Amino acid sequence: MDLILQFLHNTGFGLADYRNLIMIVVGSFFVYLAIAKKYEPLLLLPIGFGVILGNIPFFKGFGIGIYEANSVLHYLYFGVTSGVYPSIIFLGLGAMTDFSFLLANPKLMLLGAAAQMGIFFTYLAALALGFSPHEASSVAIIGGADGPTSIFLTAKLAPHLIGPVAIAAYSYMALIPIIQPPIMRLLISKKEMLIRMPDLRQVSRRELVIFPVVGMILCTFLAPASIPLLGPFFFGNIMKESGVVDRLANTARNAIIDTATILVGLTVGASTQGDVFLNPKSVGIFALGAVAFSIATASGLLFAKFMNLFLKEKINPLLGAAGVSAVPGSAREVHMMGQKADPTNFLLMHAMACNSSGVIGSAICAGILWSFLMG
Amino acid sequence: MYGFEAISHHNGLAIAATGACIVFAGLATLSLIISQLHKLVALLDRPPKVIVEVVAEERPQETAGPDCPMDIDLTVARYLPLIEELEPEFDLSDLYVLAKKYHLPHPHLSIRCLLEAGRLQPLGDGIFRYAE
Repeated sequence: MDLILQFLHNTGFGLADYRNLIMIVVGSFFVYLAIAKKYEPLLLLPIGFGVILGNIPFFKGFGIGIYEANSVLHYLYFGVTSGVYPSIIFLGLGAMTDFSFLLANPKLMLLGAAAQMGIFFTYLAALALGFSPHEASSVAIIGGADGPTSIFLTAKLAPHLIGPVAIAAYSYMALIPIIQPPIMRLLISKKEMLIRMPDLRQVSRRELVIFPVVGMILCTFLAPASIPLLGPFFFGNIMKESGVVDRLANTARNAIIDTATILVGLTVGASTQGDVFLNPKSVGIFALGAVAFSIATASGLLFAKFMNLFLKEKINPLLGAAGVSAVPGSAREVHMMGQKADPTNFLLMHAMACNSSGVIGSAICAGILWSFLMG
Repeated sequence: MYGFEAISHHNGLAIAATGACIVFAGLATLSLIISQLHKLVALLDRPPKVIVEVVAEERPQETAGPDCPMDIDLTVARYLPLIEELEPEFDLSDLYVLAKKYHLPHPHLSIRCLLEAGRLQPLGDGIFRYAE
């Protein structure tokens, strides 16, 4: 009888804590959103399942949990804490990105820069709320709307916050269809939404091959700390555009990025153990993440309106919302909003240009914040 | 420590302002560079000067038939490299400009000769195509 009672005490039912149960509900909700609502399923499904997995109560000391040395999950989590997975994801992302839209209309790159302002506003807000500079940077980078970049910077500056920061970043990326449209409607008039973008010029292959080299040299000279992200990113892109290593480019944009995404999602999800994750700081991170994301969207929109004061050929200010680097969610949202105003207005390609600029911008921001605070 | 006190203690304003300026300056510079990239590429794509040399080599043939734009084979041989330099469908005036540029003799007569021989096929609106 004692043996049975001891066994029952050591099962998940016996060890269950209310915090684990809350997180299991949260994880199940993510899985529901991914499968039923199809909200960023590539991210939310592994993360949601990881949250459930990480919150199964277990007997501590057996090397099972993600925070226990020698556990399998701990080894897999090393890719997150060391910043390896984000670099690998950036490699695949580079091999997927088509810069021809950006090269055809380079002024859209400024919208990618403007949308990064959310990061710096949130940095100040987080400091004001009592976060340390390292923590504030990790929270602020959520405004870049770039999951891998958020994980990378947090791993370097505030590794104890990886779970909440990653979950917040990926959640807000998945919630773009809910967060961005109200801000667009608030700041952009119906007349401005109707602005049509000019046809894009044909970009030569030679331009596409030169760009990753020039882009990498300039960006990494400016912020050397962004090398782990932008190096693989531009390398992936030159593999794609050169056309001489199609096999490698295909592997980078399919097998490699998929593997890294699975491992990041699962381990980041599993890192949200209720006893570690559920605390006031996590709530603060979620709140500030929403602020960061909203300010980033608003900065992009307002800067696009500002640019129109000086441009002969006006740009559609909705494109500013695609300056956050949530690829391709925010570009899709901009396109859909433009189509609601005028079904014959196609903004997707232009919005993708802003999106790819946002990816570069947020990686530079991460590099700058890291280099400011690494001392 | 909270509020403005925390921001100033951690030098927050300076970090935020400097960071924002660096990102903006970086992307603006990159934007400027890529806006000029197609001009650089156009320079690299300029036609090789070999064509001029070919014309120079052909000049002695002029002495063999100095006023011979009516020799259709010779005219085709002279004008084909120029036509290949143009788009497949080109404006006749562009061909004339190229012929003048490379100092080919009797451009007017030669082009008319090509037209009459049916080697330049009119597509309308002053646009022509080379016909074999």
